[in-house]
Amino acid sequence: MYPSALHLVRYGFLNAVADFKATYTWRSWLFGWLGRMFAQVLFFTGLGRVLDQPGAVRYLALGNALMTCVVDTMAVVATTSGERRAGTLSLLVASPADPVWVFVGRSLHWPISGVATASAALFGLGPIFGITWSASQVPLVVLLTALTALGTYCVGLFLAVVVVNVPRLRNVVSNCAYLAMMAFCGVQVPVGFWPRGIQAVVQAVPLTHTLRALRAVSDNRPAADVFGPVVPALLTAGLWLIAAVVTFRWLVAVPARRAGTLDLSY
Amino acid sequence: MVSNAEQGPVRQEAPEYAPGGSAATDAIVVEDVGRVYVDRRSRPTREVTALSGVSLRVAPGEVHGLLGPNGAGKTTLCKILTTTLEPTTGSARVLGRDVTGQSRAVRRSIGLVFGGDRGLYGRLSARENLWFWGAMYGLRRSRLRARAEVLLERVGLADRADSRVDTFSRGMKQRLHLARGLVGDPRVLILDEPTVGMDPVAALDFRALIGELRREGRTVLLTTHDMAEAEAVCDRVSLIDRGRLIMTESTDAVGRLLSGYERVVADDVPAELARRVEALDGVVAVRHEAGRVEVETEQPSATSAVLSVLAGAGVHRVSTARPDLGEVYLHLVGRRGMAVT
Ligand SMILES: Nc1ncnc2c1ncn2[C@@H]1O[C@H](COP(=O)(O)OP(=O)(O)OP(=O)(O)O)[C@@H](O)[C@H]1O
Ligand SMILES: [Mg+2]
Repeated sequence: MYPSALHLVRYGFLNAVADFKATYTWRSWLFGWLGRMFAQVLFFTGLGRVLDQPGAVRYLALGNALMTCVVDTMAVVATTSGERRAGTLSLLVASPADPVWVFVGRSLHWPISGVATASAALFGLGPIFGITWSASQVPLVVLLTALTALGTYCVGLFLAVVVVNVPRLRNVVSNCAYLAMMAFCGVQVPVGFWPRGIQAVVQAVPLTHTLRALRAVSDNRPAADVFGPVVPALLTAGLWLIAAVVTFRWLVAVPARRAGTLDLSY
Repeated sequence: MVSNAEQGPVRQEAPEYAPGGSAATDAIVVEDVGRVYVDRRSRPTREVTALSGVSLRVAPGEVHGLLGPNGAGKTTLCKILTTTLEPTTGSARVLGRDVTGQSRAVRRSIGLVFGGDRGLYGRLSARENLWFWGAMYGLRRSRLRARAEVLLERVGLADRADSRVDTFSRGMKQRLHLARGLVGDPRVLILDEPTVGMDPVAALDFRALIGELRREGRTVLLTTHDMAEAEAVCDRVSLIDRGRLIMTESTDAVGRLLSGYERVVADDVPAELARRVEALDGVVAVRHEAGRVEVETEQPSATSAVLSVLAGAGVHRVSTARPDLGEVYLHLVGRRGMAVT
């Protein structure tokens, strides 16, 4: 019997829990991690005050608060490349399991932490900049945060499998992806600011769509404006996940077996 | 690590195997396998031939030793059999399945253990590691839990089952590795230096464990640098040197390979008598220490001559022996010291 994807995700999650416990205590998460992310949001939003443009502060506060979850989710690249360092990558390949599903489960602590971070920023820092939420908006905001975290997690997974066997690239790749999303997906300036080519490319990033939905919620726009972007967000997230599975199987594992780059013992 | 019932060499009668039997019945079939690595980091790119023209068959239930100096190509062969490396030429099958074309089926039926302390999740406990790897082999719920408990017991880690693995000593990790390799209930086990870092008692337990696996009908391919270990547990051994298979022989008969080579050991031999023995024709080496003399001969007639000289001088505590695996190894591989070629 071959293990199912869900089974692999579940047991991969054992590692997520263990990694999270080893990385943070609730105190270091709250005062270390969350503090750092709050500082980042305050910094970028503070720039908006300097700009002295109506709506800029609100725009930047929403964008940067939601963006905090992407910092978390991009950590999947580093965590996944840990499989190679630990010498478990070749054992996973030698097992009947599909390693990508293990990767999906083993970094799930990052999107979970991401949802907590971004929600805390939206609800905790928002009011400072005049962004308040009604009780009925709260669940919607949390759901959009979760969708953002999971969507960008899928983007991260794709990047993770691309560099899993080339560990020296892992920081470059995750930092570039993070910065590109921050610049082009409508976090600091509207997507329309950029050339058409870039505008087209960012449609592939779930964050672009969820951010649009979040701004619609905040502006009390009609439901269609809120739920319209959810569809492409889900779709693109799914496509990134499929791309990760296909890429690992055919463009990473097969060439690695051919070239002999899967190490056993060193 | 095992039930403690027995320690030390546990080899019994060799199982029924038909060297060179049909491909369908052999557990492992390696046919004319070659592997060339392209080292892209060196300028200009360099090609390393790790294996060339290797053919090998291992019967079901056989424990087969893979011996050879550093860089001989042993790990390369293990990687090919575990589907983590494709051969450049030739083909290999495990239980009739091709390692390249039917890799998924091969993975289902093999267990892989390598030496060293990597390949485990350090932040998980020993038990969680086994749960994880059991899940990778499709085990679920109660069967998964039960299997983990049995294996923890079997490798002697039951008392430390809940400790984080990065607090384990090297030998403890190696035991867990063995348990991990067995978690999928594999019919074929590929063990690449599995006793590295084990203390002598654990290494003896390991021999007993291999004996158990053999009685369970599993096929084992074992790489080791420990000749005593290979001699104790293997039914047959193959020697690889510089990527080529230079011999495959049943462990009992391996001494025959150095035909004519024999060893005579005698006690209470005075120095003068030792010098007389050394002068005989066909005597290759004599070691004399505290009255005990060890004579190596290169033909049976020389052995007789040595024996009669000793007997004539009144020495009666004499024995002869075929060379053991270690001597055969040294003879075939050569005493090349630390040079890796
Ligand atoms: N990924 C690789 N790239 C280039 N050359 C390699 C690679 N892996 C192994 N080699 C070379 O292939 C040869 C065989 O290596 P292998 O690891 O199979 O030897 P081994 O018999 O397992 O040695 P040891 O006893 O030291 O473990 C060596 O010359 C080694 O340098
Ligand atoms: Mg090796």
